[in-house]
Amino acid sequence: MKLKHFIFTILAFAGSLTSCKDYLNIPPMNVVQDKDLYSDVAGMTVYLSRMYSQMPFEDFKYSPARQFFDDWLVTPGANDGASLGRDAGTAMTSEGYSRNGAYWGRAFNLLRDANRLLETLPNYKANFSEADYNHFMGEGYFARAMVFYALAKRYGGVPLVTSVLKYPDKPAAELEIPRSTEEETWNQVLADFDLAITNLSASSPKRGYANKYVAYGFKSEAMLFAGSVAKYNKITGLGQKTNVRVIGFDPNTAAAASKKYFRESYDAARKVIISGKYSLYMKKWSANDKSAQYQNMVDMFSDLSSPENIYIKEYKYPDLTHGYDTYNIPRQLMGGNGYSAGNCPTLDFVELFDGFAKNADGTIKVFDSNGKYLLFDKVTDIFANAEPRLRAYVILPGDVFKGEAIEIRRGIYTGNATNGIAPLRVMNGGSPDYAVSGPSNYNQVDAYKALGAFAGQKSLFLSQNGNTHETVKLSNGTTMNAGGKSGPFTSDGTAAMTGFAVRKWLNPNMPQALVLEARSEQPFILMRYAEILLNIAEAASELALAGEAAPAGDNFQQNAFNAIAYIRARAGADPLTSLSDLSDVAGLKIIRKERMKELAFENKTLWDIRRWRTQHSDMLNGFTQSDGAYYKGLYPFYSTTTGKYFFDAGLDESRSRFRLTEQEYYLMIPGDEVSKSPMMDQQPGR
Amino acid sequence: MKTIFYSLLFFLAAVSFNSCKIDNYDEPQETLKGKVVDTATGEPVLTDQGSEGTRIRLRELSWKETKVPDNFDFFCMKEGIFQDTKVFKGHYNVRIDGAFIPLVRLTSAGDTIADETKYIDIQGITQVEFKVQPFLKLEWIGTPTVSNGKITAVVKVTRAVSPADFKTKIEPMGGYNDNFLNVTDVRLFVSQVPYVGYREWDNRYTTQINYSGNAFEALLGTPITITTTGVIPAGRTVFIRAAARINYATENIKRHNYNAAVRVDIP
Repeated sequence: MKLKHFIFTILAFAGSLTSCKDYLNIPPMNVVQDKDLYSDVAGMTVYLSRMYSQMPFEDFKYSPARQFFDDWLVTPGANDGASLGRDAGTAMTSEGYSRNGAYWGRAFNLLRDANRLLETLPNYKANFSEADYNHFMGEGYFARAMVFYALAKRYGGVPLVTSVLKYPDKPAAELEIPRSTEEETWNQVLADFDLAITNLSASSPKRGYANKYVAYGFKSEAMLFAGSVAKYNKITGLGQKTNVRVIGFDPNTAAAASKKYFRESYDAARKVIISGKYSLYMKKWSANDKSAQYQNMVDMFSDLSSPENIYIKEYKYPDLTHGYDTYNIPRQLMGGNGYSAGNCPTLDFVELFDGFAKNADGTIKVFDSNGKYLLFDKVTDIFANAEPRLRAYVILPGDVFKGEAIEIRRGIYTGNATNGIAPLRVMNGGSPDYAVSGPSNYNQVDAYKALGAFAGQKSLFLSQNGNTHETVKLSNGTTMNAGGKSGPFTSDGTAAMTGFAVRKWLNPNMPQALVLEARSEQPFILMRYAEILLNIAEAASELALAGEAAPAGDNFQQNAFNAIAYIRARAGADPLTSLSDLSDVAGLKIIRKERMKELAFENKTLWDIRRWRTQHSDMLNGFTQSDGAYYKGLYPFYSTTTGKYFFDAGLDESRSRFRLTEQEYYLMIPGDEVSKSPMMDQQPGR
Repeated sequence: MKTIFYSLLFFLAAVSFNSCKIDNYDEPQETLKGKVVDTATGEPVLTDQGSEGTRIRLRELSWKETKVPDNFDFFCMKEGIFQDTKVFKGHYNVRIDGAFIPLVRLTSAGDTIADETKYIDIQGITQVEFKVQPFLKLEWIGTPTVSNGKITAVVKVTRAVSPADFKTKIEPMGGYNDNFLNVTDVRLFVSQVPYVGYREWDNRYTTQINYSGNAFEALLGTPITITTTGVIPAGRTVFIRAAARINYATENIKRHNYNAAVRVDIP
């Protein structure tokens, strides 16, 4: 017993002694210290790797539904009307519903890393050459600019965290930062891009790093966003807790702000252009040769040496992969995971392009003057002269991909065609109904159900899905499946549900056995020269509309014209006729349309229609998205009696309904962030 | 050893007691009932049921655990009445927003011009009545008729608040424009259920007439004939309602004013 007491006493003394010794007070050895990280370029590489892994890049691991860093069901275009897919195909009314939640929380993680770099690196300046030091500071500003930009376009005004918040040194309550106004937030984006531009090297010191021109590129994009919101946004309000204008611009400053941002966008794009470092990809291009122009635009998305690439995100199997091919491959080339055709371009998107017959209202011409279907010898004939860019982006019915003709056929029509074939969408002997009240699926029409004019004579054959087909015996004795190998099918959305499949980004050389999830490694182009041209054209047009004067030696209209003409020539589209094409609001519309064509499936269009504030109000097939709107498909049919093809254009069979109300341009702040904070405001009115 | 064992046991018991603490807060039992009526006529202000209709926002001011009270929102019934039977007893701010002159009017700098919301104690069954100035008033004229599966109805749209009164109240809020008063669209909503409105309509049959600029000005107070689109199959029962709105958003939503839903049997 005594011994025990003695030991305890000794132990107690020993304890008190050790805690007094300074030489034992060392930082934990298993945690990397600032002095190690900020020691040299190699240390900073580690730091930047972590920052880059959190960057809000909208690449092959981004979808509006699941947000960043998630490569499941990535189908860019399926939320902006360029395409539909079984698993996507709705307006972006909220973010991250599925499993990742909103970007909000992660944004502040990266902000902290960026702020920490900006605050700590100056203490270790002596460890670096001046060029390296400046570049790393520039990376900090670039990351911060990208985060604030990603936040501002989703939420409007956000808390401008521009220093490292020290917790637990200070109590959490003192570290609360309320949301700033939307205008202050965009000004912060502008300021950070400008500091990034000042500090970053002219070319990336390491593959994947930013550089001055990357920052210029994103600056011009971000400022176009800010200028558009200042000009077109109608909804604004003051935060309930802080009385700060957290969304929208003060009506008194909006016009001036809009001009300022458009000018910043213009100047930034101009800097990239006059640097002469980039040009449109024209390696295989040749004038008046549509197939060369087509091949050129296919190759440009995978050629790492493309002079058009300003900034790309690279992937590498097995370290960093995505699944674009598997989710978007045409059905007949489907890989082992069972996904396919998640990204079926809409007819509305296809109709933006040139090179095929159209009606006066711009819709595709499928009927002759008697209201009977136009007949085509081959399924490919309708798009035989289509704009090469369309073919490079979209697999049209019968187009060849991976050495195989992609068979897209909705069904087989066996009815009499001597007096032409009348429109198919007829129910119960009524008149053709292509409105939303008409038949949504071809299995409801009279020709299929043998009703009305087809009473007792079934004349339309369809395929249920990829395995269950109705078949038709042709006059030459062969048997034909009703639906094509790639659909569309009556009740299987993993086929060409709109009559088209996407080609852009698909790897044409990937063996079918490898078309699997997390197996693709082609790069994503985050910023390319074509966008710079479109940015300068749009900013120039907006500035001219606002009555602004061009910088000395510059002509807004000429610059816009040159940019659009260059893009159209490369794409093989119809050329502009004259400089005056691009004047006034009509000219701005042409520039916007060019942008929707060129940048489709690149995670840009959704933000464009949101910043133009046209997503809720543009009339789509009789409805606006604020009331709920639908897109169209183009459905090819084979007529056995004529041996020809005809096409039925109409609302998409799945009736995917896009609905967005005006206030949903601003996504909700996560509810828990609002209720736990005394100063965090929810969006006004919500 | 035994001591350690017992102290551990005691510790565990203490921990488990702590975690057993149940949420012993009394369940909310008070009821708030309310009505939204037109100041001028005393008639209820009919509305859509949902986020584009009249919204009631409760904020419990007597709750001090959160510094700024959370919003508790729910929506008015289509007849212009609302009720919530699960409210905690306390002192509340009750605010409503809809297709009427906003009760809370702020300048663009955020200063309060008017606050006509209610600050009330909710206890037992508490009744409130909001007197508001709706933008528009819609009335049926006659009974809707049906022919070949299409319903034709005649409605009259009038202003429930005079342009002068509207301007007096809205202009100080900043950014005023005379085109706020323009009627932008008149719709005839069709649905299979009586709760027909902007959030419950069948777009195969519903009709919308848009008016640009102040084109509707001349049509105010005149009978407007509106016919549904598509063909409603015989034997169906549908409910219809007319709605119209002006070019002015309250709480960032341009809301419709409605008339009463009526049942139409398609012969």
